[in-house]
Amino acid sequence: MSSKPSKLMLKRAALILALVVIIGFGTGVVRLAKLQLVDGNEYREKAELEMLGDSSVQALRGTIYDCNNRVLAKSASAWRVFIDPRSLYNSIEKEGKTEAEFEAAVEAKRQLVASGLANILEVDGETLLEKARKTGSGDETVKGEIELELKNKVSKFVSENKLYDCVGIQPDTKRYYPNNSLASTIIGFTGADGKGIAGLEIKYDSVLTGVPGRVISAKSGSMSAMPIEYTANYESQQGTSLVLTIDSTIQELLEKELEKAREGAQANAAYGLVMDVETGGILAMSNQLDYNLNEPYTVCNEEALAEIEAIEDEEEQRQALINARYAQWRNRTISDTYEPGSVFKVITLAAALEEGVVNENTSYSCSGGIQVADNYIKCHKRDGHGSQNLQKGLMNSCNPFFITIGQKLGVEKFCEYFEAFGFTQKTGIDLTGEAAPKAGVTYHEQKNMGISQLSSASFGQTFQVSPIQMITAIAAIANGGKLIQPYVVAKQLDEKGNIIKETQPIVKRQVVSESTAKRVLTMMEAVVSAGTGKNAYVAGFHVAGKTGTSQKIGAGNGQYVSSFACVAPADDPKVAILITIDEPVGQINGGQIAAPVAATLVEEVMAYLSVEPEYTEEEQNLIDVAAPALVGRTVADAKEIAADENMNVKVVGNGENVIKQIPGYGQTMPRNGVVILYTDDREEEMTTVPDFTGMSLSMARKSANYLGINLNISGNAFSGSDILAYSQDIAKDTSVKYGTVVTVYFKAYSGVSDSVYG
Amino acid sequence: MQKKKEIMLLNRPLFSKGSIDVTFLLIVLALLISGLVMLFSAGYSYAYYKYDNSTYFIVRQGIFAVIGVVGMLAVSKINYNHFRHLAIIVTAVSVALLLLVLVLPEWKPGFKRWINLGFVTFQPSEIAKFGLVLFYAWGCEKWQKQIANNRKNIREDWKYPVLFGLVGIGFAGLVLLENHVSGFILMFVIAVAMLYLGGFNKLWFIGGLAIAAVAIVFVVFNPDFLKEYAGERITAWLDKDYDPTGARWQTNHSLYAIGSGGFLGQGLGASKQKFLYVSEPQNDFIFAIVCEELGFVGATAVLVLFALLVWRGFVIAMNCRSKFGALLSMGIVFQVGLQTVLNILVVTDTLPNTGISLPFFSYGGTSLVMLLLEMGIVLSISRASDVKRQ
Repeated sequence: MSSKPSKLMLKRAALILALVVIIGFGTGVVRLAKLQLVDGNEYREKAELEMLGDSSVQALRGTIYDCNNRVLAKSASAWRVFIDPRSLYNSIEKEGKTEAEFEAAVEAKRQLVASGLANILEVDGETLLEKARKTGSGDETVKGEIELELKNKVSKFVSENKLYDCVGIQPDTKRYYPNNSLASTIIGFTGADGKGIAGLEIKYDSVLTGVPGRVISAKSGSMSAMPIEYTANYESQQGTSLVLTIDSTIQELLEKELEKAREGAQANAAYGLVMDVETGGILAMSNQLDYNLNEPYTVCNEEALAEIEAIEDEEEQRQALINARYAQWRNRTISDTYEPGSVFKVITLAAALEEGVVNENTSYSCSGGIQVADNYIKCHKRDGHGSQNLQKGLMNSCNPFFITIGQKLGVEKFCEYFEAFGFTQKTGIDLTGEAAPKAGVTYHEQKNMGISQLSSASFGQTFQVSPIQMITAIAAIANGGKLIQPYVVAKQLDEKGNIIKETQPIVKRQVVSESTAKRVLTMMEAVVSAGTGKNAYVAGFHVAGKTGTSQKIGAGNGQYVSSFACVAPADDPKVAILITIDEPVGQINGGQIAAPVAATLVEEVMAYLSVEPEYTEEEQNLIDVAAPALVGRTVADAKEIAADENMNVKVVGNGENVIKQIPGYGQTMPRNGVVILYTDDREEEMTTVPDFTGMSLSMARKSANYLGINLNISGNAFSGSDILAYSQDIAKDTSVKYGTVVTVYFKAYSGVSDSVYG
Repeated sequence: MQKKKEIMLLNRPLFSKGSIDVTFLLIVLALLISGLVMLFSAGYSYAYYKYDNSTYFIVRQGIFAVIGVVGMLAVSKINYNHFRHLAIIVTAVSVALLLLVLVLPEWKPGFKRWINLGFVTFQPSEIAKFGLVLFYAWGCEKWQKQIANNRKNIREDWKYPVLFGLVGIGFAGLVLLENHVSGFILMFVIAVAMLYLGGFNKLWFIGGLAIAAVAIVFVVFNPDFLKEYAGERITAWLDKDYDPTGARWQTNHSLYAIGSGGFLGQGLGASKQKFLYVSEPQNDFIFAIVCEELGFVGATAVLVLFALLVWRGFVIAMNCRSKFGALLSMGIVFQVGLQTVLNILVVTDTLPNTGISLPFFSYGGTSLVMLLLEMGIVLSISRASDVKRQ
């Protein structure tokens, strides 16, 4: 029965063997060589990317401090909660269930997870359920940036329902802005992924970000926890921290005053800058309204929000909301441009003095207008300023005078100085979104500049600059002619607080000589002491400034921009301030609405910077003093001390000793004010604050006296005529104690306009 | 020396007296041991994840390996000529099981491949593959005259090739009814190879392969024609960017693992992809972990071992004194070789992802025992083979 394999079988066996070994195994080896030797690295990288990417731990983002190390933005540890729909699906036993039963069990578990987490984390349950149904996915974020308390609630929910496979909690970080809206457009904010979206957060994103840590672990494969000893930790490296030149105190003052001004003028916006004239460091920078950095998507302007909500078309409403958000994130002090108007006369003046085409003795007689080519350009004073010297011309902000100065300077020189003062280039401030000047669009090209263009440009019309450019040019005049590069980040600190980078002030060029700068400054001082800028007068300080009012062209056509630029103290310049009010209603002149803001700021900033005031004799009599310590003394002693200080007292009660005084010890009060002394512990007598606005100085004094209130005078109460109170720090009809100090702000209502409009 | 009395069965000695082919045995043991080592390495993380016990797979597989080796040695003692009598029985049992599994409740939803005995599960198709080889080896010897006649003239005794072909188609068809495409392909190719070795007229194969080629092309370009899951696997094979978290997840991570191995590998036990990236790394895709840990060098060495096994099986067959023994030996090693090749081509994304396990390596106790028993048969044939005299 046995039969040896035939020759045929031998042949056929050889063929089969060859097929299996050569074709089969051969193909296998060739494929392996391709995958492992040729493409190996590519696959290895993909594999590593996946493993590392899935388990990277966010580095703590760097902190942002102001110049006094006050925290402006800070990251803290937080957690991210996610669901693992794949594991959820796989966690249900299939055995012993029909298809329908199995699906029902899966769906029930999804419902449990979704409703539980939606409850705890306050997210939409339906959306969550949709996520839980993505069976192909291993990681669907439920919510990031959650804090410890919530994380603990989630942990409890997970362990109570044994959901270890389906719900994960991962370390995350959360960005906090402790001051909410303070300096919002400078700081900016981060998105859900921890990346910067606006302001410094985006400009310095890579610096702030740090190096994420990595955890290589078994859990990465299914994204669910797997308690196995296979983890390698690479610590995350905290991001670099920033120390800004911004001073929160000055920033707060600026924001407060701008917001008051914006409301008072019913303006579209108010923005301002405070700059250190020596270094170029920005001390404060704001445009109102400021949005809340912790809720950047909420539209902060309530009127705008109401308008948006009133839009019926859904798509339109959505678009309006987006626009409103972008608008509030926009840093207008660097991104917007405006016609500087008369403030620019300072630049024309500096150039003309430097070139020697005018001097202090140059005079001009203004008849109310000037013929330029085919146009007759009117002065804002219709009947003319008459004969004036150079300083008087600046004080009056006389347009025809400056047209003649510009014409004397000539197109070529004008353009040369225009460029030298930095108006043709970005300033290079370390913030995103700086407006880029464009020849022929934002300013005149030299070749296209005729006598008409030159004439209007000489008094700041027909071209646009950004606020940051304007204040940088003003700072150049304040610091002796040096154009500096503005900046907001002073230092970069590593994790331990060591300085790893410090910004050195950059002087770009000497634009005009020191003496020219000084001469311009002197004339600017006269603008404040007796010219259109007199509302910027601050007792005890020399302020040099210039008003500006310009009509808008293009968007907001027919509206105005009023501004005021100043330097303080004029004899030893420390800060430059630029206040701009966009589209004011009613009073529209810079001297009327922007200068008083600057005055208040100068007063507060100088006090904050501990610059010693120097009062004139006239001012001496009006300045505030600190209330003396009278409590504990006998009434007779108290009266004697008060008399020495030129103060009046009013005694209430029949006791022998003073047990209470108003104003209290050390509180500022006007010289010659009244101190109320209580000799027994009766209730303080109350009085009601009147409405001071619109009162003249003498009326206000009488009224205060009559009501037993100490009047503290602020602003321009003394130079010029037509001076009236325009604001007070304690609202009218407030019930206050006798002797309370109420600050009342005064300003001049005439001789301060520099435009033909107001 | 007194000659021991032989135990006789049906007038033949029950046990074979010759010595076994040590080369073949060593190859088998080498594969078995490397398979067990790699199974432990590849599977412990998943075992821990799934069963809270890292040694879950290796302990079970180890027990079956011991049973299998004992069985293999026992079977190798038996005179292989007796297996002729088993041919009809095994074939009948195979068909019965293939039919039974179709009517039993599904063990995994949508799949009717397994029979659950409570303590073990097994696939009837594993037994059927052996049944088919055994049946063909027996039949091709028994009707070799008719086959030879038909070879000389295709019109003569044409019923035999048709009947033989129908048996193969029947087996393969039953497996296809299980929704088991890979089992179907294996069964089909084994049948073709056995019939070819059995000496059938070439013309049958030319005709048959032409039809098969048309079918393959049709299916590749119309994946929807197949049941949903099988069709999707072809789509996933053609489109390398298809559903990376679903249909292509396993294949992509297999490629990551293989690529990560490079020339020398990450080192034994140092695979990263086995940590739940490559799904069920102890199963069909264990070779990817072999590649990652042992590199191109190690993976090639494993392939060489398999190739040597096939080669040695053929050598044993060629030196066998009967057609039955030769066909049986070749059929068994061919089946192992084919399964290995298909597995490697799937793992390397050369072919669509079909569920084919890697012999000696993949987890599965009953199929390991089955495999070792078959190795025992080859060893038993080797005892009666002239291979040792070469």
